[in-house]
Amino acid sequence: MSRQFAYTERRYHSVTLPAVRAKLFMLAFTGLLAHLQLGCGTGDQHAKGTVVYNCPANAAEVAVLQKEIPRFADTSGVNITLHPFTGQEKLYAMMAAGQAPDIFYTSSTMRDQLAAEGRLLDLRKVSEGDPFVNRLWPHSRQNSLSPDSGWYGVGNWEFACGVYYRKDFFDAAGIPYPDTSWTWEDCVTAARALTVRANPSEQPSRYGIFIGSHFVETLELMRGSRFTPNALTVTIPESSLDVYRKYIALMDEELMPDIRRVQAMGMQAPQLLQTGRVAMLVEAVPHQTLMETLTVPWGLAPLPRFAGHAPAYFRSASGGLSISATTANPSSTWKALVWIIAGASIYQPNPVLRDADFVSGWEQRYPKLVGSGFREVWDLSLKHNAGDPRFFVRYASWTSGPILEKLQPALDRLWARQSTVEDLLNTAHAINAGLRAHLEETLRHRTLQPAFRTHLERAMEQLDEPASH
Amino acid sequence: MARGSSWQTMTVATSRYVVAYGVLILLSGVFLLPLLWMLSVSVQDVEGVFAQPFRWIPEQPRWENFREAVTMFPFGRYLANTTIITFSVVLLTLLSSSLVAYGFSRMRFRGRNLLFALCLSTMMLPGQVTMIPLYVAFARLGWVDTWYPLIVPALFGSPFYIFLLRQFFLTIPREYDEAAVLDGAGKLRIYWSIILHLARPALATVALFSFVGTWNDFFGPLIYINTPEKATLTLGLQMLKSQIVGTGTVQWHILMAASLLVMLPNVVVFFLAQKHFVKGLQMGGLRG
Repeated sequence: MSRQFAYTERRYHSVTLPAVRAKLFMLAFTGLLAHLQLGCGTGDQHAKGTVVYNCPANAAEVAVLQKEIPRFADTSGVNITLHPFTGQEKLYAMMAAGQAPDIFYTSSTMRDQLAAEGRLLDLRKVSEGDPFVNRLWPHSRQNSLSPDSGWYGVGNWEFACGVYYRKDFFDAAGIPYPDTSWTWEDCVTAARALTVRANPSEQPSRYGIFIGSHFVETLELMRGSRFTPNALTVTIPESSLDVYRKYIALMDEELMPDIRRVQAMGMQAPQLLQTGRVAMLVEAVPHQTLMETLTVPWGLAPLPRFAGHAPAYFRSASGGLSISATTANPSSTWKALVWIIAGASIYQPNPVLRDADFVSGWEQRYPKLVGSGFREVWDLSLKHNAGDPRFFVRYASWTSGPILEKLQPALDRLWARQSTVEDLLNTAHAINAGLRAHLEETLRHRTLQPAFRTHLERAMEQLDEPASH
Repeated sequence: MARGSSWQTMTVATSRYVVAYGVLILLSGVFLLPLLWMLSVSVQDVEGVFAQPFRWIPEQPRWENFREAVTMFPFGRYLANTTIITFSVVLLTLLSSSLVAYGFSRMRFRGRNLLFALCLSTMMLPGQVTMIPLYVAFARLGWVDTWYPLIVPALFGSPFYIFLLRQFFLTIPREYDEAAVLDGAGKLRIYWSIILHLARPALATVALFSFVGTWNDFFGPLIYINTPEKATLTLGLQMLKSQIVGTGTVQWHILMAASLLVMLPNVVVFFLAQKHFVKGLQMGGLRG
């Protein structure tokens, strides 16, 4: 009996269990296929009459946009499909396959190059007579113009730059808060008074000011340097060299923490001000993280002016939305672009629009901004707009790669006080000398449009000009 | 004297252990630091992330970060998508790579070594080189914005896994094959019933590598997926980071909570497969 049972059990294990396993496997396999069908199905080919917007948005923003798109479709007859996953590689791959999204973000560094390859739609063709164009700040349009006078992008966001300061430290030191009239000398004097050290031989426990090296370019503007946007070569005016010397002097005098030390400590701007490590901080305006994390009394002032120089404030307009040259229905795509910038609630109030009350909108969002000096900084950046001098914007997409890969390390050495401004000038000469080969290579590209070819050829003639004048 | 010498030897051995373990603990501390930071930040509030000095254990852990993390993007859906894609890839990789490795290790044919070298040489091609041609090919097949480009390539094997499995198969004595042949087994029967059975540690290693690689893959889904409903967890994490307006607001505490949740399956799978994984790596390196 027991032998028979043992046999049955063996038989059960050898026959029945595998059969159950097989059924389970088939069940799992069927489930897998069913879900695969959901994910695989058919590819997202551009549906007729639909504009594809490749937007750099987070989940919350996508959710808001997706709610508003049907309302826009009802009134305009244009349906927008969102592709929220963005990346330069993705964009290039899509273009290569002839599947570029209709609207996508372009930084000023890549816009010219894409335009020169004929990949962007000249917006003049679709915007003629549209009152929307007059709602844009003139500089917003000007920044997107290319050497062929084509208009290849609409700025979708802008910001200014200012000095965030700790009111409690100013009060304790008995120094008046900075205002629109303060100068670089006033700023250095205040930084000196606000720097605190336990004894002269020790490093300060609090520094007067911190200016990230990426904001030195804004000081160059204030000091009178003027740059041709999208320059093909490196030019370092004497006024910029003077700013570099002043910037280094701040670290030499220990009024500002050594930038290498700040980087090594992994400290971020909000931490520096919030913890009282610095009394003043040069940062973007508005700056959401600062708004959300600062719990100490603070104010905002414009960048200090350099005596004898006209006010010239930083204003970024370094990127925007472009339309693909392969878009099926340019006028619908233009309508969609206009709605994204001027209609979609997540962009409002949009600082690129002249009729938008950006300051009031942000004061409503962050009441801390009321009376902080935000309005003054913002208005000055509009009134004395000197543009965006940051290196990745200053140099054209054709040459920014070879320029920055040598210029940036040279500047890092300068800030680390391992080299001098004269060394930097020599590097700039060497960079310009090396650009000829790079531009010659670029000129061999067959896809280059004639206007851009002429532009590059003219630029090559400037290569022998000195880097400093 | 002998007792003294043995005591001395024991002391030397113990101090060696202490030094070795001390160094290892120190090094593991260095590697664990980012993970510990992530753990700590995942239960902090926004001020805690930037507090100086950083408080490793918050007074009141903010557990709702995890709830917010899973509601800020369609976590459940992306988890299901990632699971399906990952398991499909692991299954297909195991099948295809082991089959190819079996051919290279057990069958003799003209040009075998050349083919094997060719197979290995594809490992040298950086992904950036093949990205655009592959994208164009998948676009022509109408597979963009589907999971096919993420899953189907696994059907063609992976050179690294083929290499790993081939090395392991070479350690399995041929006598097993010969005995099976005498019992009337064909090539596929030997592969299925003997080789795969004996190569479980190596298969576990490949499965683990493949699982971690696919689960964490960001670039593939980024390139091929457009529709939010078809996205994976890594794209979900990117959605937490990106933004349209303003300058530089990343909610690090939420991002770290989400990253922790996304990372968990990797840790679980690694601990489950750890024994086989180590054995597989050791055995795979025995023969050249």
